[in-house]
Amino acid sequence: MLLEMKGVEKRFGGVVALRGGALEVRPGEVHLVMGENGAGKSTMMKIIAGMYQRDGGDMRWRGESVHFANPVEAARVGIAMVHQESLLAPHLSVAENIFLGREIQGRFGMIDRAAMMEKARRLIGEHKFPLQAEWRVDRLSPAGKQLVEICRAIQNGTSLLIFDEPTSSLSEAETHEVFKIVRTLRDRGTGVIYITHRMEELRSIGDRVTVLRDGETVHSEAMATLTTASMIRYMVGREVAALYHREPVPPGAEMLRVHNFCAPPSVRDVSLSVRAGEIVGLAGLIGAGRTELCRAIFGLDPAAHGGLWIEEKPARIRSPRDAVNAGLALIPEDRQKTGLARELPISWNVTMAGLDAISPFGVLRRQREGAITAAEIERLRIRCDTGAQKAGRLSGGNQQKVVISKWISRGARVFLFDEPTRGIDIGAKVEVFEVMDKLARNGAAILMVSSELPELLQVADRILVMRQGRIAGELPGRTTQEEIMRLATLESPETQLQ
Amino acid sequence: MIQRLLPFLTLIGLFVFLAVASPHFLTATNLSSVVRQTAVFNTMALGMTLVIISSGVDLSVGSILAMGGLMGTMAMSKGQPIAVGVLAGVLTGAAFGLLNGTLVTQLRISPFIVTLGTMGIVRGLALVVSNGLPVHEIPKAFSYLGEGTVVGVPFVLILLVACAAAVHFVLEHTRLGRYTFAIGSNNDAAVYAGIPVKFHTTMIYAICGLLTGLAGMIEASRLMTGQPTAGQGYELQAIAAVVIGGGSLRGGEGSVTGTLIGGFIMGLLANGCDLLGINPYVQQVIIGAVIILAVSVDELRKRSSA
Repeated sequence: MLLEMKGVEKRFGGVVALRGGALEVRPGEVHLVMGENGAGKSTMMKIIAGMYQRDGGDMRWRGESVHFANPVEAARVGIAMVHQESLLAPHLSVAENIFLGREIQGRFGMIDRAAMMEKARRLIGEHKFPLQAEWRVDRLSPAGKQLVEICRAIQNGTSLLIFDEPTSSLSEAETHEVFKIVRTLRDRGTGVIYITHRMEELRSIGDRVTVLRDGETVHSEAMATLTTASMIRYMVGREVAALYHREPVPPGAEMLRVHNFCAPPSVRDVSLSVRAGEIVGLAGLIGAGRTELCRAIFGLDPAAHGGLWIEEKPARIRSPRDAVNAGLALIPEDRQKTGLARELPISWNVTMAGLDAISPFGVLRRQREGAITAAEIERLRIRCDTGAQKAGRLSGGNQQKVVISKWISRGARVFLFDEPTRGIDIGAKVEVFEVMDKLARNGAAILMVSSELPELLQVADRILVMRQGRIAGELPGRTTQEEIMRLATLESPETQLQ
Repeated sequence: MIQRLLPFLTLIGLFVFLAVASPHFLTATNLSSVVRQTAVFNTMALGMTLVIISSGVDLSVGSILAMGGLMGTMAMSKGQPIAVGVLAGVLTGAAFGLLNGTLVTQLRISPFIVTLGTMGIVRGLALVVSNGLPVHEIPKAFSYLGEGTVVGVPFVLILLVACAAAVHFVLEHTRLGRYTFAIGSNNDAAVYAGIPVKFHTTMIYAICGLLTGLAGMIEASRLMTGQPTAGQGYELQAIAAVVIGGGSLRGGEGSVTGTLIGGFIMGLLANGCDLLGINPYVQQVIIGAVIILAVSVDELRKRSSA
């Protein structure tokens, strides 16, 4: 046994994050750790990697009881972790980040840049990552940063590697590359702990599963014998329909039309239309231009041009303010950075986009605000104590509902959902889908970007596939993942020329 | 909530301590002199509160204070009535605040840099306009603004309370105030929500400049001169008052009551040091230490409640 944990506890002040953490990892296995947000997965992983110290219980490494005071001690015995959120130095290069804290030294203790570059290039080349050793990390996409984290973790002889949701920001192709790395490591006898929310990934990668719920290990079993339904039951503690299914409604009037729309260099000549009651999926690889298209429609890209009609009237949208006034809503992919004011109360977030209506002559009517907030909390079933609570304290799913409520209370009619379920529990995902469905039923038009193909298939009435900035084709809602991927990855004449 | 009271309790504690430690503290003369001394940078700190909540900072307020006072007194020395002079000083402040706000939003440079630049520019302009000389020809009645009383209460205290009430109302009960918090808490989210962020940011700096112009007139009235070199270092006092009162330089946090408490803590510290005969050099050490202490206690509070 490589790693054994039994009855591990961790408290933060009065909050118990982990109270009965148990886990056994063997060399040469991929061990999946599952659980909803807040179940204690990340806390457990950070204890293993030496970032937190346990308050109770036992942890054994190769049979011996261990206690890591810091990540360096854990790294010394061969434990490395690929973090979910980027812990990179943004102003340094890819190579410098890969070797951060263990720089290759040349003569007189000076850093040997050339050797580091060379080694980084070899590492990147070996796995065919779309990275350059000299690129600055802050220019990279979330996916690119994730790949740098992975390079960092696998550069040395590691006997236990922890992946904390490594693929949540990766495209399909990049995910496959990560899987390949994981399998190579496993075949070399490395133990791998793998955390993911993407159900479809599990079976293709995992050997064993351990499920956490409310800070406790509730189940552990071989992947092959565990059904998806029982896995979800263990995670949630109750029965949840694993597959959400939406009944389409007959579409009404055209709400959004985009014609020959360009946002150089990411979006090229896109035309699409969404009608009232419709949820239109937008699929494609990372970098296909989906997020950029949403941003451009919403007035966030000054270089964007092309035809735009809202509710059959031509619209000139130069800024998010124009977009909001035209009835558009954007639920951005990066909720923390652009969707939510985490430090402000829920109620202030709810009314943020619609303040004009409740502040005649600029003076706020706070009772109206309270009433609107109460109504939205009720309507979207936002789980909180009061509307005065800080929005950042809510769980991911409830934060997302607050972001959505901002637009509902504003009376938006055309919704651009960009990765609406990112970082959200299974239970909350279904709730977000239900909210989207209700919006559509009430006559809203929804364009939904998602990299989770099963979700698109469950929710969308039809699916547009983007590739290299263009719409590569349209598929009915009941298509297959293979069909989407075929359109998303087809080589276009341009790439063949390059 | 109990920790929120900490600055207030500190102020009360300081007050009681000084009342016991010095027989001269609890006298009408001394207390009204504390009020008068603190009124100038407390008025500035009110505007600074808005700026800091919006996650900005204004380093140019010391210079703007001098410019406002100078313009106001120059108008009076040219024969304009006092009211016109005061208005001239206030509007001069507002105009330079507007300039700050415009530069911050249009050039997209950090407020620290922009106002570091205007701090020098405005100070230099004040020296150029006045030839480096103070303005003395001011009507005697003008001293009422800084030194007068209404039934025994210093007029500046009434003025300060009125300004504080106005800024409190703006911050807590108007759209502008709400947007100030939104911009400071998450500028991108504010833009995405369709808030006219540039317009409101500009307004915030203009209000800060306006209040600074008024502070400049109070200072000029107290000194009965228009000094081009007035207000040096006041920007740091104003920032300190906001920060001691719970404002965060990261934005999104701060309150008018907090700022006033912070301002009076600073005022009492200075006054107390004088009364207890503490060397003015040591005073600076004490005030500096209090700033660090206050903010670290506040950070601890936030971390423990997070």
